[in-house]
Amino acid sequence: MHGPVTEIIQFIDLNAYSIIFLILVGFVGGLVSGFIGSGGAFVLTPAMMSLGVPGTVAVASNMCHKFPKALVGSIKRYKYGQVDIKLGVIMGLFAEMGVQIGIVVQRHILKIWGQAGSNLYVSFIFVCVLVVVGSIVMRDAIKTKKAVGNTSSAGIAKYLQTIELWPMLTFKTANLRISMWFLIPVSLATGMLAATIAVGGFIGVPGLMYIIGATSIVASATELVIAFVMGLGGTLIWAYYGMVDIRLTLLILAGSLFGVQLGAIGTTYVKDYMIKYVMATIMLIVAVSRFFAIPKYLNALNVTSFTDGSVVLMSQASFGIMCLALLTGALIILVSLFKARSQEKAAIPVLG
Amino acid sequence: MGKKNTNSMLMPPAIANAQADAQSLPSVQRKAPCILVVTRNGHMGEPVMNYAINVADRLKYAICAVHINTLPFFCDGGRRNRLFAAAMQESVTLFKRKAQLKGVQVESLGESGKIAKVVKRLCHSGKHIEFVVIDQGIQKEAVAAQSPVPVFNVIYTTTKAGTKAGQINKADYHKPVQEGVSRMSTISKKRHVKNCFVFGSLTAGLYAAVFFNQDLVMTYFTKGGIATLLPVAVVFAVSYAHGNFTSSFWSALGIEGSKASVGKKTDSRQEVPASVDIRKDNRPRAQVNV
Repeated sequence: MHGPVTEIIQFIDLNAYSIIFLILVGFVGGLVSGFIGSGGAFVLTPAMMSLGVPGTVAVASNMCHKFPKALVGSIKRYKYGQVDIKLGVIMGLFAEMGVQIGIVVQRHILKIWGQAGSNLYVSFIFVCVLVVVGSIVMRDAIKTKKAVGNTSSAGIAKYLQTIELWPMLTFKTANLRISMWFLIPVSLATGMLAATIAVGGFIGVPGLMYIIGATSIVASATELVIAFVMGLGGTLIWAYYGMVDIRLTLLILAGSLFGVQLGAIGTTYVKDYMIKYVMATIMLIVAVSRFFAIPKYLNALNVTSFTDGSVVLMSQASFGIMCLALLTGALIILVSLFKARSQEKAAIPVLG
Repeated sequence: MGKKNTNSMLMPPAIANAQADAQSLPSVQRKAPCILVVTRNGHMGEPVMNYAINVADRLKYAICAVHINTLPFFCDGGRRNRLFAAAMQESVTLFKRKAQLKGVQVESLGESGKIAKVVKRLCHSGKHIEFVVIDQGIQKEAVAAQSPVPVFNVIYTTTKAGTKAGQINKADYHKPVQEGVSRMSTISKKRHVKNCFVFGSLTAGLYAAVFFNQDLVMTYFTKGGIATLLPVAVVFAVSYAHGNFTSSFWSALGIEGSKASVGKKTDSRQEVPASVDIRKDNRPRAQVNV
């Protein structure tokens, strides 16, 4: 956030319904984040806003819950040897720059086209990124599944790793060596997307997999470190302007820390392609959700003339589909986890 | 509990050579060759015992059975060490009884420390060790990296089905009386439950402090400026307490990371060269003929 906040913020009164709702949404979001590295937070801002929380407070509180969740998730996955801290911290710092660039771009669009134009831009970016990247990830997941777990690096990543461009960086856990100049665009794009749609991981994880050349397990785990760095930076800025409602943050954390641990445990049971599969499924369903949100903004800009009833219906459908995306992802993760767990239990090595 | 023995090892060429060497040398000039059988579990796997005894019987070798306690300083009031010693005692007794039936000599040792280092030390200790057989739970590559003799592992699994082809006779399988150290679920569960209560109480305390003083908290936490650090510090504290609580909670319920996932990550990745190939130097050079 750039510049002082002049509006008076009205923090909401919490009741039993809102408390249970936030804990449950937090759990599902945490589960998805722990598994695919991100993607659990995008539904939280609209969910909080549906309870009457002002937009800026919802974004700030969501950001404030994101970094401790990412911290706990990355520690858990580090214990499983999946996190490349060096890669995560370097990319996180550049992603933080991307966030600042993204905010400047957003402010510029807001200035030129107004609130409706800005919202349209966000939804348009949402749909484009999710459809393109989601399709690529889904195609790769299906291909990998058919290839029975052959998860060799993408061609472009292999090529980029051969280019000797100072400074070359070696990442032991990710098991790769690549020029820093190829990390920067991926990191900046991650940060810019995070500033635009609150989920940088939809670019960060595929970028790590297909451009940098990390496996999906390492990519999703390292994305948690990036999310931590970005989230901490973002929280400090929001908290500086007094926008964080710590009560909302703690309620979401109450559920999400249970979820993120379970999601991280899930990664140790499933095959590599499952992470891609879950991520692509969520991305494609969310793209449909955002598609239904576009007519509202087009109406506001007088480009289309949908009736008010239709717009309200489509907005509700958009939110419903977004929740469905998260629930579908969570369901796939839970089913895969418990199925793989029972299979492993059926073949226990004789150890004493 | 049935057991499926999938021991598919063939006699390695090194063993055949060693057998030939052993027969060609006069007995006075050499120490009795032996097979080093290593486990880090309290109870050595019976397929490992059976395999080692069969090979030793064919080669006329002795067996040196080593139980290595890899966590001698584990902080549980010495319970793990006691469990290990009891399980080892039972395992050695069984091993010796099995070996006695075939007339194979078994020497047992209890060691502690890193497996690879123990194997290396034993191989250089004057024992005529021909090769090493390792039990499940030991990384072959890690041992082989330091061992001066070949290292082999025995792969076996236990299934709940119990009647699949290839299983050993149930009568041949001895259910351990002593609790093995790798089966620490009861201890771990207790520790997890304890942690669950400790960190759960801490988390509840933090939440109570915030929610019972909502007005005060919201007044100071939203002031901005230097008060920026207040919400950040609180979420860090909550992430520590609540993170440990949730971790212990799932562990107490028995939901933990897959044991079989060790090495999965590295297997799926490609080898990265330690350094890149040196590029061809195409710069022009001047040659001087003197």
